[in-house]
Amino acid sequence: MRITCPHCGRRDVAEFTYQGDANRLRPDPASTDQAAWNAYVYDRVNTRGPHREFWQHSGGCRAHLAVERDTATHAILSVSYARDSDTARAGRRP
Amino acid sequence: MSAHRAPTGGRIDRSKTIAFTVDGKAYAGHPGDTLASALLANGVTLMGRSFKYHRPRGLLGAGDEEPNALFTVLGPGAVREPNIQATRIEIFDGLQVESQNRFPSLSFDVGAINRLAGKLFSAGFYYKTFFGPEWIKGTRVWHVFEWFIRRAAGLGSASAARDPARYERMNAFCDVLVVGAGKAGLAAARDAAEAGKRVILCDSEPPSPAATAEFAAHANVECLPRTTVWGHYDDMTFAAVERVADHLADPPAHLPRHRHWVIRTKEIVVATGAVERPLVFPGNDAPGVMLASAALRYAAEFAVRPGARIVVFANNDTAYAAAAGLAALGSTIAAIVDVRPNPPEAARALAARAGAELIVASAVVSTAGGKALSGVAIAEIGPDGAPGANRRTLSCDCLAMSGGWTPQIQLAAQQGAKPRWDERLHAFHAPDLPSGWSMAGSAAGDFDLDEGLSAYPAPVFEIKAKGKAFVDFQHDVTADDVRLAHCEGYVNVEHMKRYTTLGMATDQGRTANLAGLAIMAEARGLTPPEVGTTRSRPPLVPVSLGAITAERKDDLKPWRLTPMHDWHLENGATMYNAGLWSRPMIYGAPGETIEQAYVREAAAVRSGVGIVDVSTLGKIAVQGPDAPEFLDRVYTNLFSTLAVGKARYGLMLREDGIAYDDGTTWRLGDNDFLMTTTTANAGKVMQQLEYYLDCVWPDLRVILTSVTDEWAGAAVGGPKARDVLAACVSGAKVDDAHLPFMGIVKGEIAGAPVLICRLSFSGELAYEVYSGAGHAAHVWEALMAAGKPFAITPYGLEALGTLRIEKGHVTGAEIDGRTTARDLGLDWMLSKKKSFVGSAMMDREGLFHPDRLRLVGLVSLDDRAINGGSHVVDSLDGEKATQSLGHVTAACFSPALGRYIALALVKNGRERLGQRAFITDPLRGRAGPVEIVHPVFVDPEGKRMHG
Amino acid sequence: MVEIASPLGTAFKPGRHGKPDGAPGVIVCERKPATIVQVAAFSGRETAVREALVKAAGLKLNGKPGAGVVNGSRAGFGVAPGRWLIADDKEGLAGSFAKAIAHEDGAVTRLTHGRSVFRIEGPRAEWVLAKLFAVDFSPEAFPVGDAVSTTHHDVFAAIQRVGENAFDLYVFRSFARSFFETLVRAGEEVGCEVKA
Repeated sequence: MRITCPHCGRRDVAEFTYQGDANRLRPDPASTDQAAWNAYVYDRVNTRGPHREFWQHSGGCRAHLAVERDTATHAILSVSYARDSDTARAGRRP
Repeated sequence: MSAHRAPTGGRIDRSKTIAFTVDGKAYAGHPGDTLASALLANGVTLMGRSFKYHRPRGLLGAGDEEPNALFTVLGPGAVREPNIQATRIEIFDGLQVESQNRFPSLSFDVGAINRLAGKLFSAGFYYKTFFGPEWIKGTRVWHVFEWFIRRAAGLGSASAARDPARYERMNAFCDVLVVGAGKAGLAAARDAAEAGKRVILCDSEPPSPAATAEFAAHANVECLPRTTVWGHYDDMTFAAVERVADHLADPPAHLPRHRHWVIRTKEIVVATGAVERPLVFPGNDAPGVMLASAALRYAAEFAVRPGARIVVFANNDTAYAAAAGLAALGSTIAAIVDVRPNPPEAARALAARAGAELIVASAVVSTAGGKALSGVAIAEIGPDGAPGANRRTLSCDCLAMSGGWTPQIQLAAQQGAKPRWDERLHAFHAPDLPSGWSMAGSAAGDFDLDEGLSAYPAPVFEIKAKGKAFVDFQHDVTADDVRLAHCEGYVNVEHMKRYTTLGMATDQGRTANLAGLAIMAEARGLTPPEVGTTRSRPPLVPVSLGAITAERKDDLKPWRLTPMHDWHLENGATMYNAGLWSRPMIYGAPGETIEQAYVREAAAVRSGVGIVDVSTLGKIAVQGPDAPEFLDRVYTNLFSTLAVGKARYGLMLREDGIAYDDGTTWRLGDNDFLMTTTTANAGKVMQQLEYYLDCVWPDLRVILTSVTDEWAGAAVGGPKARDVLAACVSGAKVDDAHLPFMGIVKGEIAGAPVLICRLSFSGELAYEVYSGAGHAAHVWEALMAAGKPFAITPYGLEALGTLRIEKGHVTGAEIDGRTTARDLGLDWMLSKKKSFVGSAMMDREGLFHPDRLRLVGLVSLDDRAINGGSHVVDSLDGEKATQSLGHVTAACFSPALGRYIALALVKNGRERLGQRAFITDPLRGRAGPVEIVHPVFVDPEGKRMHG
Repeated sequence: MVEIASPLGTAFKPGRHGKPDGAPGVIVCERKPATIVQVAAFSGRETAVREALVKAAGLKLNGKPGAGVVNGSRAGFGVAPGRWLIADDKEGLAGSFAKAIAHEDGAVTRLTHGRSVFRIEGPRAEWVLAKLFAVDFSPEAFPVGDAVSTTHHDVFAAIQRVGENAFDLYVFRSFARSFFETLVRAGEEVGCEVKA
């Protein structure tokens, strides 16, 4: 499997680290809603097919990437910088 | 020239002679010969003993498909490389090989008695035989039987000697990868090269003069001879092995033996050819029975006559061309036996040209001879392959057979898609190919035959006469074994494969799979595509493990060294591998035990002054206007309030509230922090922090940079530590007023800039002295010189561990991914003024349970050492002896207390202080009484480090 | 000023290694820049930082990922989004960058001690590097001046092509000795000359 890093180009998967499901939204830090935190920390969708996930180019530029990957075929459908993803945007200060 | 070798022709170089030995016996050949062709030229037909029955076997094929002629290549030294096909061994002067699976010799093999015990070794024998009768159970009798059975059936054996060869990896990128340098592969490579593409052309064989000449001038074509592409991986990545030096008599030390290629390409052309199939009939495995294409190849390429008098047996036209070719190269073709009643006119013409008697609607039903073929019996057959009663014998010393052709599609099939059945070819084609893939030549079913000839076989593959008719030669699987598997319910093709082991040998069933499939299909009353084919997986040829591990020389990982590494070695350190780092364990004096050394070192710190290399601590520069805010979010305590020039101890949790890592962070400027992490977690913490900045809080203006290798550190600790620094530091004052506890100053030692922070892991008055790594050895030596009047003692990890156990400081042994801050007695670090990573989940009720394991100290009451990993129990007797209350995380002899002590995680430990318990370590046979105490053994008020 | 010690110690063995005959396929040496400094921009401030850097360093770095420049004794290249590494044979660059880059835009980090630099040059440099790194080193994919960030197993490396057949490899200092031995060994096949 290879992932096309927006900065470094196409690299072997060995240069990347899987950094988890990119569908999770971290609750507001001040939130005490245990169900929300529980969902954030423990609940994962187990998709067959296209799946949004974070990968870090840990053996390259170290940027985190938002990758859409088909879990059945390993086809990489899209790659962008994680900091531009919807998930990350939700964490920006209002 | 031997009687078997033609005086002219072939790719061999007759001007030179090569001497080699087989089982110690000397033979001669020529450059260009394989072991197979050279032995054949020497009149050798017996080349191996079969896997289970020890039947004599000769050559079946001439290339990768060869199942029988496996040898062990000897050397260099004690190295033995078993199971190498004679067709793959290029001979060189001094080559030594051994035949396999025979005792005492290849021609006289006592194991051949297994043939008489045929039933015992039928399909599934292993599974059946190993359920012994009832009386055997619990005895060792069965182990003895197993020992014999395992030795009776088998291949060659490897040696345990270290392989001195070099193996390398190569990463390659190209536009077009062409696999196979036959006619079709060359054409594909030529087209791509002319279109200006970057081409890699791989071929399993030695360099072909045609390819070498054609592409010599093309800078954009890389020809890789002796290279087999063996695996397909996602996104057009292919693995190949190049046999760089196997063919050299005296390979220079700088050449790798094998090179593992990882090739990423945009397009691939699979031109791997097709393999001829054997026909299945009794005695089809006798030496002298070979594939017609192989017979022709030996004659044409190596000028070796596979036989003086050859009978050809076929179900298709291609063998006629082989017969004509063999006749032209000097063999007599006694007859062509064809299962078909009406071969086409073009085939008949070839038979006539070969001077062969044409015997149609007939089949070979048995073979005669032992170590060499003396003749075959033939009979007329019906359309179902059943032979009639009338037999006729033909004398011959070679039977060249052809049961049709199997395109070599394994590489394309590794994608996992289903291969497509071709009824006429009676074989599978590659699955529907994704873009970038193409098949060429006979791998695509294009056989490039003369007008009027066809590669399509008559649908007769098995001649059902009495006797052992082999399907898989290498694993000794017969047609009856396949039917037995069917009778016993192993009808799924994947089950049949595993039950009979058909196709599971080193040749991957290249010549066997389709016949096996056809027999199973017939037994089930289905067509072959309905039965389906087994899944194709890498590697498709045996690959040396050396090639795959390749560049990982000596060890399986690189190592990391601190700048003081050479000093440690020169000063008697015993080094210890901590992760990738190499660190001093002790600096042992002559005659000292490890315990004596660390006790001496630790005691010196408490009484005078010691120095330890702490360069391995993870160090991260945290810079930017939002750095204080960021640290407040990731640490449990506040950092935004930290003054410039001060350090603070910090604790990080995971999101689930469990403790993650600890360390001190130093504020060097308003926007400039230096974070330290534990050595073990440095990489993980960096990654986690980067994750938060990229994925969770992307608007924080913070830059993280690993500076672990920029700064090297020496921790100087002990009552005399300040005196040592005062003697060597310039440009800064180190007295209590200028450098208070947790204070930082910048100065110089021996001309090198240093950063000094007064903090303590040992519990003594201590300083961490950081300098640029390139100056660190210089600074270290200056500190040693300044410390000499105070008898400064360098100490290693063991003493470092002892000092921290005495102080009850936690490390990775206690921050083990299960403990909370509260468990570790660090709840004072949990800020109530802010939220931080883990704050939302750290108060879940389960994390407050009274039975949680909590950090305590243990003192040995029998004055014996406590083993790390021991369990803590209430009693050594009865049920309680096995009811663990917790475990020992770290243990040592404490010079400060004069006792053996330990840190432990114990259920509700804080309520048990002062109680007696026991440690038990049944594995090492150590149990004994202990007292549970507060984890800070030495100076709980912290007077010493504040002194 | 105290000299920066080489990380190689006993692993530095000058002379010919491996294939003994013919011209060396590669020549390997340790470069010892007096300054290695990282300049990094906060998200959204990449252009401002790059422009300030171009002015302060005198290196014409464009905005293309991995773009770099070699200008005599000074070299610079992009290692990550909004992050550049500058090496100079003289000291003092870090100080001038710290003045040139606004605190609101980015940060300057000294890495002179933390990174070791090896130069490999010669007709087989691409071949030898391809043994260690899964990167396309052909001139079409990797032009002079450009850089890549990659790893050889656990050893992180930033690699700049400084000439047609020459590359500078920046590795973490603690790995330098181990990596250097690996590099020389990889070069032995084609004849490797280790120089001071």
